[in-house]
Amino acid sequence: MYPLGGYQGKYIFVDLSSGKVEKRELPISWAKDYLGGDGFAAKVLWDNIKQGINPLSPENVFVLAVGPITGTLFPPSGRYMVASLSPQTLRWGEAHAGGFFGPELKYAGYDLIVITGKSDSPVYLFIEDERVEIRNASHLWGKTTFDTTAMLEKEHNDPDIRVLTIGPAGEKLVRFSAVMSDYYRAAGRTGIGAVLGSKNLKAIAVRGSLPVRVKHSQEFMDFSTQMFKEHKYGEWSNYIKHTSRKYGTTGLMDAMNTIGRLPVKNHYDGFYPEIEKVGGEAIRKGYRIAHKSCFGCGIQCKYFSLIKEGKYSGTKSEGPEYETVDAWGPNIMVSDLDIPVRANYLANAYGVDTISTGSMVAFAMELFEKGILTKEDTDGLEIKWGDGDVALKLLEMIVRREGIGDVLAEGVYLASKKIGKGAERYAIEVNGMDASAQDPRAHKSVGLTYAINVRGADHLRSLSIIDELGFRNKSLERFPHLDPDICCNLLDETYKGYMVADQEEAFAICDSLILCKYGVMWPPIYYFPEFSKVIAYSTGLRKYLDVEEVRKLARRIAHLRRAFNMRAGLSKDTLHPRFTEEPMPSGPAKGQVCKLEPMLKEYYEVRKYDSETSNFYYETLAEAGLEDVALELESYGRVIRRKDGGS
Amino acid sequence: MDKLLIVDLDKCTGCRICELACSFEHEGVFNPRLSRISVVSFKRDGIDIPITCQQCETALCLESCPSRALYRDSQLRVVLLNEKKCIGCYTCIMVCPFGGASVHSLKKVAMKCDLCGGTPKCVEFCPVEAIEYAAADKVGLRKKRLGAEKMLKYISLIQKEG
Repeated sequence: MYPLGGYQGKYIFVDLSSGKVEKRELPISWAKDYLGGDGFAAKVLWDNIKQGINPLSPENVFVLAVGPITGTLFPPSGRYMVASLSPQTLRWGEAHAGGFFGPELKYAGYDLIVITGKSDSPVYLFIEDERVEIRNASHLWGKTTFDTTAMLEKEHNDPDIRVLTIGPAGEKLVRFSAVMSDYYRAAGRTGIGAVLGSKNLKAIAVRGSLPVRVKHSQEFMDFSTQMFKEHKYGEWSNYIKHTSRKYGTTGLMDAMNTIGRLPVKNHYDGFYPEIEKVGGEAIRKGYRIAHKSCFGCGIQCKYFSLIKEGKYSGTKSEGPEYETVDAWGPNIMVSDLDIPVRANYLANAYGVDTISTGSMVAFAMELFEKGILTKEDTDGLEIKWGDGDVALKLLEMIVRREGIGDVLAEGVYLASKKIGKGAERYAIEVNGMDASAQDPRAHKSVGLTYAINVRGADHLRSLSIIDELGFRNKSLERFPHLDPDICCNLLDETYKGYMVADQEEAFAICDSLILCKYGVMWPPIYYFPEFSKVIAYSTGLRKYLDVEEVRKLARRIAHLRRAFNMRAGLSKDTLHPRFTEEPMPSGPAKGQVCKLEPMLKEYYEVRKYDSETSNFYYETLAEAGLEDVALELESYGRVIRRKDGGS
Repeated sequence: MDKLLIVDLDKCTGCRICELACSFEHEGVFNPRLSRISVVSFKRDGIDIPITCQQCETALCLESCPSRALYRDSQLRVVLLNEKKCIGCYTCIMVCPFGGASVHSLKKVAMKCDLCGGTPKCVEFCPVEAIEYAAADKVGLRKKRLGAEKMLKYISLIQKEG
């Protein structure tokens, strides 16, 4: 048996070019030094992706990972992650999803899947405990994610089989294609679906019957029970009941508008006057039909929605989430909720990221307004702000790569380069990733989060919640040496370098265990003391009872992902001029811009990076046990040795 | 008084925590296949229905068990399984109208709910209180009240309109 608890001790390696399938032992050093999820992905992608490869070539590597607590009762841990060199950002690509697929892979006996090469014809991977087979998927090619899932359930005569699949968008190599699982769960960001499409891998179907064992089962169960009670009866239980479960993430629509941080009109503004039409209550009353949950969750924010009347009547799906409602609502000036609900359904069916697809529509609308795109470019289509039907039409054109959709399918960064004529100014992206539904002008630390995030302008690697939600007690607890009033001030850049670096470390562990951001971010139940216990009890690695060891592990993962990006061409941590130069036009943050430099300086200091060049110090990487990485990066000129030898 | 496991189908969100709590309580590991309670999902439509042993008063499983491995516990009125006597013929599974019994994939014997000796873990862990361990004589009344509450909504509507 594998010497560590929590892990199954095996991973699947597939080379689609040769058809080779291997079940390999999970190296113990990977478990000890990289934990799982993001950590595994960082190790595998760093070791296996060569500099300068095309993300849509057979050489790219696809990783699907779970962690030591996946499949256990520790809440909320029913997740998996996928990673690759991103076709959208040309940098580190990763996306996470809940649902049921991750635990099922664990029950089948695996902690990780690594896939490289390219199949000659469409295939899917079938996993049932010991059995791992590459199977023909010609009949599934071109099908929506929903139909593919239903067809595989039927073919295997097993309604409980868990299916992860791409849709037609992934097949057409739309650069922000999603990986979908359990019908409605999306690992949406950074275009991993297109990587699968480029490999002719349509789906992975998994079924498992094996147990997951933890090392110290009584301590683990006692701690899990304590955490369950925390969700059910503790400090945050009322919030969970009355917001997360009542509205899901859509409750954020109102909360973010209140602080002037709700992106409106392609991130031009941060305040939406018609909020009551698109807020959490409007969705709950008009669309919500059932309360749902991912595997093993104590929070349970999921819900089913239905469009009850009008031309999209009968549209039924899980979601939409906050990000989708903003991307297809205020950010394209649409106040009719039918549009985001319908877009959510279509994006899931075709397998594209709801956020990036919405961003492309917003981008196109602004280019049309500015005259950079005209009717000549769009085959006569008028792409005007607020036209929901045109927005949905663009979605269909993008997933089919028809007309203007073919350019838009390249993602905001590459599309703006192709279009030219100053389109970059309206491509609201950082490091190739279009901005998610935050605004650094109203929440300054988001500016730093976007700038240093391994997947670009996205919040989920280091969003600081202490200032976002004004958790003064948490500020005192986590940063006793910093003034909590300054820490909690959304509009003050001071100390945000400390806070973002701290959150980046917390999320690195969260993404490797793998836990949901809910529970870590909001409500902030989990932090390093809890991580430390759950790692030690599940794996048996008692050294992690020392919180500093967990911190070191977090930094190792964070450094390695950044090293990957440096090797892939990351030169500078920047922010889009819309956030640094254009004052917020209205709302509570009116007149504000985001000053990135002071936050970056603080962040580099905390991280022990060179503040002039943003390069690593050799010692920083060596301390984290990454000497080999330091040596390779040194050859690209991205590592500096301190003359005094200090750290 | 006898107590029953009662599931509120409107409340179940399909999280499967009941399965995990059950498998850990009985087997010391996490494995839905070894759970005595199973959530059956109709995934595309988002409907989840937990299925477990109903501890029937006239228990077909008990009556048809050829090796008398199944027996009625006199205190809890629960149908229990003596694994040593079980011959693995699975007649209990075949005759149960609900799918209340299943196969223990490792031991190759039948497997069914034993109500955790009177403190069912599925009830303790369910985050949305969809499973209740309730006195049998009060279950009917409870359902009647829930039904009446639904009617009450319509009555209030009519009164408002009137």
